[in-house]
Amino acid sequence: MSLEGLELSILGPAFIVGLLVLTTHVPLGQEVLKRGIIFIDLAIAQIAGLGVILAWRFGWEAHGWEVQMAALSAALVGALVLSWMEKHWGQHQEALIGITFILAATASILLLANNPHGGDSLKDLLVGQILWITWEQLLPTALVTSLILWLLFNFRQKLGNLGFYILFALAVTSSVQLVGVYLVFASLIIPALGSIGHKKSLLTGFIIGALGYGFGLIISSLFDLPSGAVIVWSIAVIALLGKFLIKSDRQFVE
Amino acid sequence: MFYPRIKTSALLLALIVPCFAHHADAQINVFACEPEWAALSRALGADKVKVTSATTAMQDPHHIQARPSLIAKMRRADLLVCTGADLEVGWLPLLLRKSGNGSVQPGQTGHFMAADYVALLEKPAVLDRSLGDIHVAGNPHFHLDPERMLQVSVALADTLAKVDPANQSHYQNNLATFTQQWQEAIQQWQQRSQSLRGKRIVVSHNSWVYLEPWLGLIQVATLEPKPGIPASSAHLSKVLTKLKQNPADMLLYASYQNDKSARWLTQKTTIPAVALPFSPSKDETLVQWFDRLLNQLLSIQS
Repeated sequence: MSLEGLELSILGPAFIVGLLVLTTHVPLGQEVLKRGIIFIDLAIAQIAGLGVILAWRFGWEAHGWEVQMAALSAALVGALVLSWMEKHWGQHQEALIGITFILAATASILLLANNPHGGDSLKDLLVGQILWITWEQLLPTALVTSLILWLLFNFRQKLGNLGFYILFALAVTSSVQLVGVYLVFASLIIPALGSIGHKKSLLTGFIIGALGYGFGLIISSLFDLPSGAVIVWSIAVIALLGKFLIKSDRQFVE
Repeated sequence: MFYPRIKTSALLLALIVPCFAHHADAQINVFACEPEWAALSRALGADKVKVTSATTAMQDPHHIQARPSLIAKMRRADLLVCTGADLEVGWLPLLLRKSGNGSVQPGQTGHFMAADYVALLEKPAVLDRSLGDIHVAGNPHFHLDPERMLQVSVALADTLAKVDPANQSHYQNNLATFTQQWQEAIQQWQQRSQSLRGKRIVVSHNSWVYLEPWLGLIQVATLEPKPGIPASSAHLSKVLTKLKQNPADMLLYASYQNDKSARWLTQKTTIPAVALPFSPSKDETLVQWFDRLLNQLLSIQS
């Protein structure tokens, strides 16, 4: 065990980004669970990655915000296709999302068959590492987050199918680059699942996630383990503990 | 051609360097990216430096996972010692930015890239990404050449003295000792490795280009069709036919690499495969490591 990584300036930005990601991903995750399409985040992230590779393949050397544009446009096209599929073959949506995911993933492999550098940029896009985040990166993240939240809570009824998919694409494309695909999946699904049936499910989900990020970061510091992976486990353990505690609490009241 | 370069860099560094007031008995913190530079820093700094290595011998230095302690260590570092030539490009810039440590940022005295002090092989004349995972600056695995290691040690002792001027004589003395030991070792290695001259080798990845000319090994085939691209079946069968007509003596791969393709070839051709230690293991000196590497190479042919 060591205390040397336990510094606010190292863990602080990571924790705040975690909270920002949770504010959008908990409500979106509840919607995703309700619709039974839990692998949609993997599909969208993979399609965003495919967009960057395609741009590169057609001779466009993207940098910085151009990469973001390529990723986001691809993710939005993916969102359109997915929402169209739900409209027409809704009962098979989960299977279709799974197929979309493997098609996008294998298309990337085929496009990259002769180029390992492209593989690096794909990796950068899919496996953001939460610890690398600095204070300066927090502002753009906060802006995107508030835009999504504003849309989500003001136009919830009017959003409809297409609106949900587009908002989801926007949220996941930005969060995957910050915290990586494992943490995005964990932030979406685990708090939403852990808070099911609770009166204040949004708040409960958020608390589960926040505790998960907080303890995960501290544990990863103390034992010097990769932070993203530790946080995933920590969110899961806290959601599980929460289930037990709430259950016993209810029995006690009865 | 190296010495003018060292001189200009030294001159540049001398202009940039502010005076660091260090107590003669205080240790400076050295952050090494790879174990070989940790070992070299220990040899040159001895008790005046506290060295940590970001990667171990069993890790691929191209990729690492972000751990909190890495950032904390980088933050405290007085001197950063890395390979450079884009080897650490996937993580070092991020780690540097996150650390916010001004004295080890690019351009500062505390930012030591070994590749700046040696001539690199395989510098591509034309930049074409379709040729595979080619490093723009040249092949960065030059620590496997004992002569280049010596060039780096001179430059590193120089930089240590600039970061910690109070102990300048200490570093120069250690450099003299290291140089003497290393040159004696080189002579001994050259004698012992006579039997390796002219041996024909197959490699899995192009990591050995600096070792080959030094030992007189001849590379006849590479399992990867292009650097960094996994072998396709078509390429492997081509390699196989080539080796059947014109057999090789051994197959080399780094011990941190997956041995799947090496095993596959050994089964098909009975060419013995050797896993070589690509970097010194923890607390091993450079001489001990290179000795071990050579022993493993020599053990194959008996």
